[in-house]
Amino acid sequence: MQALEDRDYFTDYEILKDPYSYFEAIRAKGPVYRPPGRDYLMVTGFEEILQVLQNVEDFSAIIGVQGAAAPLPFEPKGPDISAAVEGNRSKFLGGDLLVNYDGQHHTFVRSLLAPLFTPSRLKANEQYITAQADRFVRDVVARGGCELIKEVSTPFVTLVVADLLGVPPEDRQLFMDTIEAAPPPGSLNSADNDYSAANHPLVVMGSYFARYVLDRRATPRNDVLSDLSNAKFPDGSTPDAGEIVRLATFLFGAGQDTSAKLLGNSMRFIVEQPGLQERLRRDRTLIPQLLEEVLRLEGSTKQTARLARKDTRIGDLRIPAGTKVMLALAAGNRDPRRWENPQEFVLNRPKIKEHIAFGRGKHVCAGAPLARVEVRIILEKFLEHTANIELDAGKHGAPGARTLDYEPSFIIRGLASLHLKLAAAEGFVPSVGSATPKPAQRPAAAVETGKGYSTAATKIGDLLADPAAKAILDQHLAGVSADPRIGMAKGMTLRAVQAFAPDQFTGKVLDAIDADLTKLAPPRR
Amino acid sequence: MAKLIVTTRSGETRTLEAATGLSVMEVIRDSGIGDILALCGGACSCATCHVHVAPEFAGAVPPISADENGLLDGSSHRNPYSRLSCQIRMNDTLSGLRITIAAED
Repeated sequence: MQALEDRDYFTDYEILKDPYSYFEAIRAKGPVYRPPGRDYLMVTGFEEILQVLQNVEDFSAIIGVQGAAAPLPFEPKGPDISAAVEGNRSKFLGGDLLVNYDGQHHTFVRSLLAPLFTPSRLKANEQYITAQADRFVRDVVARGGCELIKEVSTPFVTLVVADLLGVPPEDRQLFMDTIEAAPPPGSLNSADNDYSAANHPLVVMGSYFARYVLDRRATPRNDVLSDLSNAKFPDGSTPDAGEIVRLATFLFGAGQDTSAKLLGNSMRFIVEQPGLQERLRRDRTLIPQLLEEVLRLEGSTKQTARLARKDTRIGDLRIPAGTKVMLALAAGNRDPRRWENPQEFVLNRPKIKEHIAFGRGKHVCAGAPLARVEVRIILEKFLEHTANIELDAGKHGAPGARTLDYEPSFIIRGLASLHLKLAAAEGFVPSVGSATPKPAQRPAAAVETGKGYSTAATKIGDLLADPAAKAILDQHLAGVSADPRIGMAKGMTLRAVQAFAPDQFTGKVLDAIDADLTKLAPPRR
Repeated sequence: MAKLIVTTRSGETRTLEAATGLSVMEVIRDSGIGDILALCGGACSCATCHVHVAPEFAGAVPPISADENGLLDGSSHRNPYSRLSCQIRMNDTLSGLRITIAAED
């Protein structure tokens, strides 16, 4: 039987079920651990994690998305690999996302987000958040129960962030369906982590946000997307439109799984932690404290990663440039050197907000204020409209012998499903009329016209999927099919992309591509 | 480059180089002074970057917003010169700005 500390965190199914025992097993070896035979370090110490997070000079965030186990796309050499990191940025998974940025560029792009999550902005959205929460909860209480994650959590958080970003109501259902169909980030099945697949949410939403941003730059309105699209960097310079598109798209993705799981994890404590539900029913002002302790004990994000770009240290330990470091946030949140009785659920811990479930420093979760507000509000609604909430024993087994299904992800801690039985509160009145949003009208499948492909009408993803069309693209735009950045653009047409890179996708080049495309036989279905 | 003069909680005074566009919070954080937790990362969503601006600079810094005002109200160490350092961006006209880091709440 392999010792816990010798097993592989990134692929071991049982460790995903209970990462916490694993973290304690490796913590026993010290706050910084080298798993046997691995080329990365794992940090479980609270202070040590903070040290790395705050040392932005020596540690790059570039491997945040791909994780510490994934190989680097270049061979690190020498005591300072900063130039090589930047030079190879596009080869890192998510290298062009805010979460993986470094230095001034990170600070500048980050500053564009700040106005979106201020108390007054969130207050302005609170009415919408409350109305949605009320609608979802009334609907499921009227039915006597629900599967929380898919029926409530995920659609609720998606609608909330869509509203915050100003996504038009008619497009929101498509966003919800796309998110629903996506694999969770940090999947143990590494093929799921391919962000260039045409139906990956980042790609689908990317094409929508591209249209919005261009529209709001041409014709600003009084809405959030206009503010975001027309915002300047702190030095007064104008962000590139593609940067805004990626930012808005990333926000959308970043706030989904994490917030939905926070709701699920909180609800599990409410139904399982002895005495907690009664306490909350007597005093709903305890909900914020509950959320903080849930974040500490079972925050949605178990870990993040950093790459040493210079020879550096963690404490006294020498870390050569090129070392990959996994920061086990969930473990830091249970470090006995920082937290008394760390494994126990305790409400009202002093300085609880110093937990690192949202990270710390430059890259601290920008959406944390939104997550706290939206989960608080929907939990309030659940308590308001119910007399009792419990787990469905038929699905999850009896108390003390529960079967709970956690997502297979090395990043996310959260339940794939949570089946609840909901007893309505006295005097509960279900909403009048239909509560669940109707699916948007989908356009009918395109009729075979025999016209073939064009730069104006055909998605890049479809062109790349056809070997003949792909050859034409590569001929006129050398190497475009191999450029990892094309992954974000697969949901767009070439003419739409032109607005973002007019020097590369010139009218002349696109006209030449069209001339060659029309010579192709019409696509077979 | 602009200068920012910071007095820490232990009473030490340091002069920091402050690049244009960075917030006072960011300059302090990047200098290695650990007093300021800046838990929200500078998003005007907490009050852990609380500082006191020297009176002679009170008029030079940008006006306080309603959000900032509301958050500072939650601090036990608020005084008339209290500001959230994440809301003050440095530039050359603010060079020489003196601030004291507020006591921890």
